[in-house]
Amino acid sequence: MVSSNTNQIRIKMGKTLFEKIWDAHVVVNKENSPSLIYVDRHLVHEVTSPQAFDGLRMNHRSVRRPDLTIATMDHNVPTNDRSLPILDQTSAIQIQTLEKNCKDFGIQLFDINSPNQGIVHVIGPQLGITLPGSTIVCGDSHTSTHGAFGALAFGIGTSDVEHVLASQTIWLEKPRSFEIRVEGKRKNPHAVTAKDIILSIIKNIGTAGGTGTIIEYTGEGISDLSMEERMTICNMSIEGGARAGLVAPDEKTFDYLRNRKYTPKNYESLVTYWKENLKTDIDAKFSKSFTLNIDNIAPQVSWGTNPGMTCDVTESIPTPEDYSKGDQNQKKAAEKALEYMDLKSGTPITEIKIDRVFIGSCTNARLDDLIEASKVIKGQKVSQNVRAMVVPGSQMVKKQAEEMGIDKIFTDAKFEWREAGCSMCLGMNPDILSPGERCASTSNRNFEGRQGVGGRTHLVSPVMAAAAAVEGHFVDVRELDLK
Amino acid sequence: MKGNVIKYQRDNIDTDVIIPGQYLKIHDYSELATHAMEGLDPNFHSKVKEGDFILSGKNFGCGSSREHAPIALSHSGIKAVLALSFARIFYRNAVDGAFLLPIEIDEFAYEHISEGDEINIDITSNEIKNITKNQTYKMKPFSEIIGKIIEAGGLFKYKPD
Repeated sequence: MVSSNTNQIRIKMGKTLFEKIWDAHVVVNKENSPSLIYVDRHLVHEVTSPQAFDGLRMNHRSVRRPDLTIATMDHNVPTNDRSLPILDQTSAIQIQTLEKNCKDFGIQLFDINSPNQGIVHVIGPQLGITLPGSTIVCGDSHTSTHGAFGALAFGIGTSDVEHVLASQTIWLEKPRSFEIRVEGKRKNPHAVTAKDIILSIIKNIGTAGGTGTIIEYTGEGISDLSMEERMTICNMSIEGGARAGLVAPDEKTFDYLRNRKYTPKNYESLVTYWKENLKTDIDAKFSKSFTLNIDNIAPQVSWGTNPGMTCDVTESIPTPEDYSKGDQNQKKAAEKALEYMDLKSGTPITEIKIDRVFIGSCTNARLDDLIEASKVIKGQKVSQNVRAMVVPGSQMVKKQAEEMGIDKIFTDAKFEWREAGCSMCLGMNPDILSPGERCASTSNRNFEGRQGVGGRTHLVSPVMAAAAAVEGHFVDVRELDLK
Repeated sequence: MKGNVIKYQRDNIDTDVIIPGQYLKIHDYSELATHAMEGLDPNFHSKVKEGDFILSGKNFGCGSSREHAPIALSHSGIKAVLALSFARIFYRNAVDGAFLLPIEIDEFAYEHISEGDEINIDITSNEIKNITKNQTYKMKPFSEIIGKIIEAGGLFKYKPD
């Protein structure tokens, strides 16, 4: 007899990488209800955790797995001399609160003076805390970065931080899967970067294109990328509306994580397991898909107030009509964006003059980002109308760069070389734009006021930011001699 | 649930304009509330009244995972945000802490509800009644689990069956 239950007669289908990781972490599964998912790693920073620890205290709860919880301070920390006191009292209190909470609850903290301090999404992979096939959460939307290693990693709010601290689990409705396939080869990978790929993707799918999904990035255009470049891609998944983005691990992934400070002792046997299990089956079906060919893509520059408002460096600022393609809300949004950005339709991108340059953030402050940017400015000087800063993503990145003499290239060119932190990606530490200032920024969000009240952000790659610092306006870095 | 509407006719209202980064250090919620929507509408704090609703377009609350966003709105008096769609983390945060109701509406309601309209939201019948204009709109029903969490008063008060 044929059962009426469609689940029972459904032909067994292959699974996506995301579904495999999900299935391996389900603690409680009920039909038509969220699942309880086990969390392998919980990363904590000073901004989204204080109320969660207060909640634990109020309810006399402890941290369920302090050994799987790791904390650092990144959002608030000043990026100038670490021996100086923190002048902003509320920042100082938030930082001290994290120190106290970690001490009280037995959580390992990389504090402001630790050689391992840095942006939480930069240090996780560097320390070997981020592992393929694991589930990783953090009270920060750019947790999606860790997906570059084939982890299911996503941002959560403070109530969920408290829930994970208390139970090491999280209730989650199973998201749908979204394949973004990147085909082709870039002609000049030094000039057209991972940042240009992800900005091109968001420009196409829109800022809500990935809502309710987990993106898996596939194709030659992704497997060709280094781990650091894959992190840049996965980092901005949230800017396309997706909770997380991931890439199936390969030899590059395994090589990157080998011999890190916290690489597990049984690493090689894990690698064998990952090789067999952490890939999407050939017959698996995604709920949604999008393909981008990168043979001919150009460096990207955002012109508006969300990351979807982006165009090629060779283009001009679009008219609201052209941008909106008949959508009245989009047209209005573009008009408001141009007003906020003080830009006129028809202005070539390369004629936009800038006041500030920020090379930093969890999107683009890793060693390769700094090396690539340094090639552009070697022997050059920052334009006299521009103030430019480099903020390494972690103290480890900073140290490595200094050992290579990269810091000297930047300081010789009159860039400021600073200590690690989130810095000018978001206006909550001393590094901010003044009202009206225009910035070429390697960060991830060009929202109104994101880098400081009235500040104007153009999202670009590190090489584009470096070239803009030298010229005082945007330039097409494909015209430079980059190797 | 009855209140007046503050309308922002735009998509992609992000968490950085709902509560700008420089205020994320504030621990006191009533102080946090004085900066709600400051990035978009500096007059918000002076015009918002207890029990008001926000009405907006697509992808409300996109961006950062800061729970400060629904908290700042909630402590300003906002009881519900009506939008064409929500960014997932904002939606989840709003429900988790039972800070406010994230209500998905259709284009018809979005167009016809105006700034200042008095509306009544009934989450048992999934209807929004516009008292000012004498119109009725449908809202998207909450899923069963979201409904239960809201009823319980948040994630920590909710006890799974």
